[in-house]
Amino acid sequence: MNVTLTHYLVLAALLFCLGVYGAITRKNAIGILMALELVFNAVNLTLVAAGRFRPQPDAVGQLFALFVIAAAAAESVLGLAIILAIYRRRLIVNADEMDLMKN
Amino acid sequence: MAETILFYALAALLLLSAGLVVTVRNIFHAALYLALALFAVAALYVMLGAYFLAAIQVLIYIGAVVVLAIFVINLTRTVTGAPVTLTRRWVIPAALVSALTASLIVVALLKSAGPAGVPADVSANLAGQDTAAVLGRRLLGDFVLPFELVSVLLLSALIAAIVIVGKDQEEEK
Repeated sequence: MNVTLTHYLVLAALLFCLGVYGAITRKNAIGILMALELVFNAVNLTLVAAGRFRPQPDAVGQLFALFVIAAAAAESVLGLAIILAIYRRRLIVNADEMDLMKN
Repeated sequence: MAETILFYALAALLLLSAGLVVTVRNIFHAALYLALALFAVAALYVMLGAYFLAAIQVLIYIGAVVVLAIFVINLTRTVTGAPVTLTRRWVIPAALVSALTASLIVVALLKSAGPAGVPADVSANLAGQDTAAVLGRRLLGDFVLPFELVSVLLLSALIAAIVIVGKDQEEEK
């Protein structure tokens, strides 16, 4: 029994849903960001596997995954910078306490 | 056969460590489990013949993103001595949502008669070549516009991060 595309896609779907679960349940903003990294990796795994199992395998899936990695790195840097800035001003790291724009 | 065993071992490692990332109470441990999960994904990339991407995964995700997250964890807790344990909310709705989404996707995947029969011949077209060279030619060929856009995105993220984090120090002086 070979490892097929479906194996990778099912694995990526499970990883994606674990990441979503973490992003919903975590209160700590850093925890939410780490759960989002899992979601990004699930998407990347899907892209690479889909590119690999095309009838004519080429590098397009890997290229898309590279762009996702770059965007995820920028997102993670900015997210952590914002968390650090809010922590310095208000000494909170929980996402549900960040309600400065609520009123 | 060896490939199948390796795949299931890596999948088990990945799902186990990802589950620990989202459930463990100590956020520092969660960051370390995240590094393990990302490493399992890198190993899966190697199985898929994406060697360059596996190296990038280890360098950027484990080397930069996880280390950055650990830095921020340490910066946000040592100052106040706040506890590192994480609180959770909406556990049952979140579990319900993600379990239903997972079952939806998995059932749809298993029912669809996709190209599941494509043989997993890793030594096919791509794997024989140098993936770094292939990706580099594509990046500077027909993908040159998104490539340049990504470089602008990374530069602006860098500047924005410096501005956001550095602002308070000036105000404190």
